[in-house]
Amino acid sequence: MKKVMLWGALAAATALTPAFAQDVKIVLNEEADVLEPCMATRSNVGRITMQNINETLTYLDIKGGTGLQPKLAESWEQNPDGSWRFKLRSGVTFSDGTTFDAKDVKHSFDRAMDASITCEVPRYFGGMTISAEVLDDLTIDFKVDPVQPILPLLMTLLTIVPEETPVEFIREPVGTGPYALTEWTPGQQIVLTAREGYWGDAPAVQTATYLFRGDPAVRGAMVATGEADIAPSIAALDATNAATDFSYLDSETVYARLDHSVPPLDDLRVRKALNLAVDREAFVGTLLPEGALLATAVYPPPTLGWNPDVTVWEYNPDEARKLLEEARADGVAVDTPITLIGRTANFPNVTEILEAVQQQLQEAGFTVELQFYEVAEFEALYSKPYPDGRGPMMVVAMHDNSKGDPSFSMFFKYASEGRQSGIADSKVDDLIARASAATDDERVALWQELQAYLHDEVVADLLLFHMVGFSRVSERLDWRPTMATNSMLPLAEINFN
Amino acid sequence: MHRFIRQRAIASLISLMLLVVAVFFLSRLTGDPAALYLPVEASEEMRQQFREVHGLNDPVLVQFGRYVSDLAQLNFGDSIRKARPAFEIVIEAFWWTLQLALITMALVTAAAIVLGSLAAFRAGGLFDRLATVSSLIGASAPDFWVAIVAIVVFSVGLGWVPTSGTGTLAHWILPIAVLFIRPFGLIVQVVRGAMITALSSAYVKTARAKGVKSQAIIFVHALRNAMLPVITVIGDQAAALLNGAVVIETIFGFPGVGKLMIDSILQRDFNVVLAAIMVTAMAIFLMNLLIDLAYSLLDPRIRH
Repeated sequence: MKKVMLWGALAAATALTPAFAQDVKIVLNEEADVLEPCMATRSNVGRITMQNINETLTYLDIKGGTGLQPKLAESWEQNPDGSWRFKLRSGVTFSDGTTFDAKDVKHSFDRAMDASITCEVPRYFGGMTISAEVLDDLTIDFKVDPVQPILPLLMTLLTIVPEETPVEFIREPVGTGPYALTEWTPGQQIVLTAREGYWGDAPAVQTATYLFRGDPAVRGAMVATGEADIAPSIAALDATNAATDFSYLDSETVYARLDHSVPPLDDLRVRKALNLAVDREAFVGTLLPEGALLATAVYPPPTLGWNPDVTVWEYNPDEARKLLEEARADGVAVDTPITLIGRTANFPNVTEILEAVQQQLQEAGFTVELQFYEVAEFEALYSKPYPDGRGPMMVVAMHDNSKGDPSFSMFFKYASEGRQSGIADSKVDDLIARASAATDDERVALWQELQAYLHDEVVADLLLFHMVGFSRVSERLDWRPTMATNSMLPLAEINFN
Repeated sequence: MHRFIRQRAIASLISLMLLVVAVFFLSRLTGDPAALYLPVEASEEMRQQFREVHGLNDPVLVQFGRYVSDLAQLNFGDSIRKARPAFEIVIEAFWWTLQLALITMALVTAAAIVLGSLAAFRAGGLFDRLATVSSLIGASAPDFWVAIVAIVVFSVGLGWVPTSGTGTLAHWILPIAVLFIRPFGLIVQVVRGAMITALSSAYVKTARAKGVKSQAIIFVHALRNAMLPVITVIGDQAAALLNGAVVIETIFGFPGVGKLMIDSILQRDFNVVLAAIMVTAMAIFLMNLLIDLAYSLLDPRIRH
């Protein structure tokens, strides 16, 4: 009898295995506080909903490196008047069974831009006036003033919801994606389940459960014990198992923004000396994990228009001292204390790294004071309006651009009107305007020109490192994170070994 | 008795109101929620819209008036961050904290009373040494370190219990075990001290002389008299747990009120902070009331 029961249990277990084998558990560092589709550009929301529940008209393929790809739009073209026409995919349904058409796209756009709810999306459409016009069920025009050449790229950020979605934050998102929300227990877990009737290829993962743990060691332990399959972010120190742990270039760049309006940072020689005084190489493999790259731009190398010909400043403290002496001889107040400003717990080892930078700068002859601030105080120094009567400041920030195009960085960081810009340079403004408006090769060339100009001639800031992240992935999965994993984690990209 | 409870309730209500006023205005001093909620790239226009939608544009006194008027109708407002009622969020979290605190304190109390009493009965004996070691560990081992080591040993190494989470009974073992250590170390010493005093009193000597069994002397005669200071410390430790065990909640992924409160403070989610403070303050008030009532049960000389 016992034998029969044992075999019965085994058979039952075997029967259950395939369902289990198609499930994944993903442990994230931060809970999604909302699952509102128009907030999907926020990483803790987007990692769950973006391209899983809610899709977009276009999709930037960072993993495959094929650039901008069709998603809910099959094609797009710019009209002679500069507006954009999107031809939509037919036969697409939402998870509530309704059919997707152009009216849904217009509603999604109008809803996201509506002032009565505070969505994240409008920030990417700043400085433009846009209106959507439905031509027929599967055609929609976006009129943009001024003409916006990267509108198809911006459409990678607009999640599409049904026309019936109210203009208020919702807790049960409905989308055209391959998954539907089946459970949300706040503080504990969120479960997505593959749905019938998805227009694209059926994904391998049937159920995805998202868990949330604040401690990186616990996230790593959960994959080690089989309680989770993917921990996209673990500590470098915990990444010790070659079979499951690996580093990947994430989309974060660490740099020190220099305030060019305050002496002595208004002097080119002083800015060059700052760059020559920092031994960037010395940080990699010591305070920073192996794999971190030395930065020559505020966005990472896979970004369009990243210029491979721009080279990292060499470490040459003698030359730095010489430049400082030249500046001093010309009456520049090089002894003025410069404040190096960091944000508490901004990234691992931030204190030690900035202390080392301070030390290196002082060895080259600078007087540097190091100060750390909490987030809110830091933001007040990082973003305009900058405080009156401030001394020379180097604000060390970590900037995230996983969107694949410099336009998401350059205006804010370098344009005269940019909220975090430390410079006011008409050539930079002109290049940003032209590059933002250009397409294809011209766009690449203009961004490359701007990167070189900022790095070599303006010496806009002290660019430091492109950071790496560490993830732990169960051996039963065929999946690797990319630069985009910070902002989204499409379950359809996960396969089983 | 009723009069005592009524007086305590009125006093607590006044304290609660003062607390709400203080927290309301102090939290506003921390800055503008728009600065944290919206990305740094957000335009001033977006920030204005955000403040408008959440009523942050009005003068603080107007905001306070509105808050009090809503509160009178038991409306604690919505969480800016989670876009749902603050009270609902707090109650969900507080339920987890309450369970964790009650179970932990029940276990701590039972274990501390037994070990502390036995330690006092034979000073320098095995139980006394155990009590001393527990106190030393409780006072010196940091929660976060014990928690991580416990996960590494018992979850990753031995595979006995899950690392974290809340799904099954097994998920509760590690958080409770880690949370147990500190109050246990303290209370066992208080029990021991109080019991040594009680055991050296005249009535215990009389009982011994009459041939009463040791167990009865310890747990019936001496313990009841030794319990007053113990209950005070238990109340103090329980109050700390009701405020949330932030480290334990963070490491073990327990969605309790401590982590919620810290996150809400950092995110300037004022309504959640206020609701959490009011709920935990109410809970602590009720617990203090129970402790006062327990005093009079244990010592008939105390009358309310």
